[in-house]
Amino acid sequence: MISFIILMSIVVCFSAILALALNFQWGKGGMVNFGLSGFYTLGAYAAALLILKGGANAFVATVGAMLIVAVVCGLVALVTLRVTEEDYFAIVTLGVGEMLRLVSLNEDWLTNGALGLAGIPRPFGASVPPEMYPYFLLGLSLALLAFTYAALTVIARSPFGRLVRAVREDDVVAATLGKNVLWARVRIFAIGGAFIGLAGSMHSFYYQYIDPTQFTNIVIAYAFMAVIAGGRGAHLGTIAGAAVVMVLLEGSRFLKDAIPALNSDQLAAIRIIIIGAGLIALLIWKPQGFLKEYRLRTEERT
Amino acid sequence: MRKTRRDIIKTIGATTASALAAPYLNLAHSQGAPIPIGVGLPLTGNAGAYGPDMGEAARRTAAMINAAGGVLGRRLELFIEDSESSAAVAANLTQKFINVHKAQACIGYWGTPEGMSSRPIAIQNKTVLMVSSAANAITEGDTQGYVWRFQMKATDWGIVIGRATVDKLGFKSVGIMGLQNAFVLPIMTEFTARMRAAGRTVTDSLIYNPEQPSYRAEVERIFGKKPEAVFCFGLLPDFVSIMKEVYRGGFDSKVVALSIMADAEGKFVQAVGDKVAEGIRHFQPMPDLSAPGYKRFLKLMGAPADRVYLFPPNTHDQIAITALAMERAKSPMAVDWSKQIIAVGNGPGEQTDDVVEALKLVRAGKPVNFQGAGSTCDFTPNGDQIGRGMGQWIIKGGKSVFVEYAKP
Repeated sequence: MISFIILMSIVVCFSAILALALNFQWGKGGMVNFGLSGFYTLGAYAAALLILKGGANAFVATVGAMLIVAVVCGLVALVTLRVTEEDYFAIVTLGVGEMLRLVSLNEDWLTNGALGLAGIPRPFGASVPPEMYPYFLLGLSLALLAFTYAALTVIARSPFGRLVRAVREDDVVAATLGKNVLWARVRIFAIGGAFIGLAGSMHSFYYQYIDPTQFTNIVIAYAFMAVIAGGRGAHLGTIAGAAVVMVLLEGSRFLKDAIPALNSDQLAAIRIIIIGAGLIALLIWKPQGFLKEYRLRTEERT
Repeated sequence: MRKTRRDIIKTIGATTASALAAPYLNLAHSQGAPIPIGVGLPLTGNAGAYGPDMGEAARRTAAMINAAGGVLGRRLELFIEDSESSAAVAANLTQKFINVHKAQACIGYWGTPEGMSSRPIAIQNKTVLMVSSAANAITEGDTQGYVWRFQMKATDWGIVIGRATVDKLGFKSVGIMGLQNAFVLPIMTEFTARMRAAGRTVTDSLIYNPEQPSYRAEVERIFGKKPEAVFCFGLLPDFVSIMKEVYRGGFDSKVVALSIMADAEGKFVQAVGDKVAEGIRHFQPMPDLSAPGYKRFLKLMGAPADRVYLFPPNTHDQIAITALAMERAKSPMAVDWSKQIIAVGNGPGEQTDDVVEALKLVRAGKPVNFQGAGSTCDFTPNGDQIGRGMGQWIIKGGKSVFVEYAKP
C-alpha cells in the first residue's frame, strides 16, 4: 500500500507541474491553452527520443524537452497573436495541439507511430537499487515540483509578473503604458511551455512507455480542473487542486473495497459520475477555488 | 478566511487517508489468506463493450475453482478494475494490483496500449502479466518469462486472412486500408506480402487516422481504383463511417474486415442497416466452437449453445493456467510458477479441459496438458500463444453466417 501511495504521489507531482504551467499561462497570463495535451505529448516524446535515439542522459533530455516545448509554444504565441485577434488564440492552440498529436501518431520513422516508444530508461536507474527506486523517484519529483513552484513564484512576484497580470487584466492599458504586449505574451507562453515540457519528460520517465493514446484531451480537462479547483492564479492552490483531482480519480477505485455491495462493473459506470459530482460540490462550496492569487490575498488582509 | 488553508489541508488529508486506508482493513497477507489476482478490463472507453463479459468469466471461473478447494488450499480472490481502455490508467492499475493487493498475476488487458504500458511494471516487479492483446511487440524482447499472450499474434492474423484470400476467395486485385494502430500494422504488412507473393495485384494501400469525422478521401482513393475486393483492418467506429461513405459513393468492390469491426456483438449492422452490411466478410481470432473446452465454458457462463464469445474464454484460460501453474510449482509466487506455465499448458500429460479435474491431477503429482476454452493453451517459450484459430463469417440479411475456422 505504501508503495502505491508513493507511486501515485509521483503522478500527483507531474500532474501538479502541468497544472502549474497551465496556471501560469492561463491563470496568470490569461492565455487559454486548449492544446495542452499536444504540448505535453511533445515534451514526453522529446525527452524519450533524446534518450532513445539521441543517446542523451536523463538530465540533458529533460532540459532539451523543456527548451523544445518552450520554443514551440513561443512560436505559436508569436505567429497567432500577430495575425489573429486574441480571442481566436484558444482555438489555434487546440489546432496546434491536435497537429502535434497527429505527428506523434503518424511519423513512424521518428515516433514509432501507434506502437509508441517502449523501454525508456529511468533517470539514475542503474545506480539506485530497484527496491529503493520509487522513494528516489518521489524525492526527485518533489524536488522538481518545488523547483517549478519556486521558479514560477519568483517570476510571478517580479516586475515581469506584474506585467503578466496587467496583460491578463487589460492588454490595451498595458500597451498604453508602453509595454510590448506581444513580446510579453510570447514569453508567458514559452515559460509555461518549458514546464509543460518538464511534466512531459517526467511522464515518460515514470511510465517508461509512451504512445499517442496516453495524451488524449482528458489531460486538458484534468489540468483545467486542477487550476479551477485550486483557484486561478494561486500556485499552492493549483498544487492542492492537482492532488485532489488525482485522489478523486485513483481513490475512488477503492470504494468497492470499502462498500462490498458495489461490484466493479457498477463502480466503473458510476466512478466518473462520482468524480464529476465531487468537483461540482467543490465548486459550490468553494467557487473561487481553494486559495486566492497572491497579490489579491494580501490586499484583502490589509 | 484565515483558516482556509488549514481547513483544506485537513480535508485533503482526511479524504486521502480514508480512501487509501480502506483496503487495508479487509486485507491480511498471511498464510492461508486468499491468493490475490488483479484483473484489468476495459469496462468503459472505446473497448467498453468487451470488459463486462470478460469480468463475468473471471468471476465464474474463480468461483468454480474456489468451490473445489481453491489453489494450494487457499481461495482465489479477484480484484477487477476498469482500465478505461487507456494505457496510462492500465499502468496505474497494474501498480495497484502489485503494490496494494500484492497480486502475483495480472490478467485481462484487452488492448495493445494497455498491455504495453503494463509490461515493464510486471517485469520489474517479477509478476506475471497475461494479455488478450495482439500486437507482436507485447512479447518481443526479453520478458523474463513474465508476459503471456492469450491471443493470436497480429502477424498470424495476416497469415490466415492472406491464405483464405489466395486459396478460397480468389480475388485477383485488392485494395488495403488500415487504422493507424499497433495491432493493425503487422496484419497489413503480412497480408500485403502474401498477396504479392501469390502474384495478386495490390491496387493501393493506406493507413488512416482514428476518430476522423469523415473518411471520404480515403474511401475515394482506395475504392476509386476499382479493386475486386477491399480489405479494411481497424475498429468499429471508423468502419461504420467508412461503409457509409462506400454506400453513398456507389462503389461495388467486395469488402473484407475483422469481426470486431463488422460484427462487434451486432452493433455494426445496427449502425449501418442490412443493405450496407450485405455481403461483407469478416475474420476474427476466436475459440474453436466445436472444442469440448468451449462447450464446457458455455455451460459455466449459462449461455445458449450458439453463443460466440471472443474474449471471455481467454480470461477463463488465464485464471485456469495461473491456478494450475501455482499448484504445480507449489508456490503462489510468480518467480516460481511462471516457469510452470508451459508445463501445464503444452504438456506432455493427460489432456483435460476441466480446470477442476486438472487441479486434482496436478495435486496427485500427475502431468497435465490443459486444453482451454479459448484455445488449446499452448505457448512458445517467449509467451506467444499457438493453437488459437480464426473464424470467417459473411453477413447475409443482417446476420453473420459462419463460413470456416482455420489455424495459422
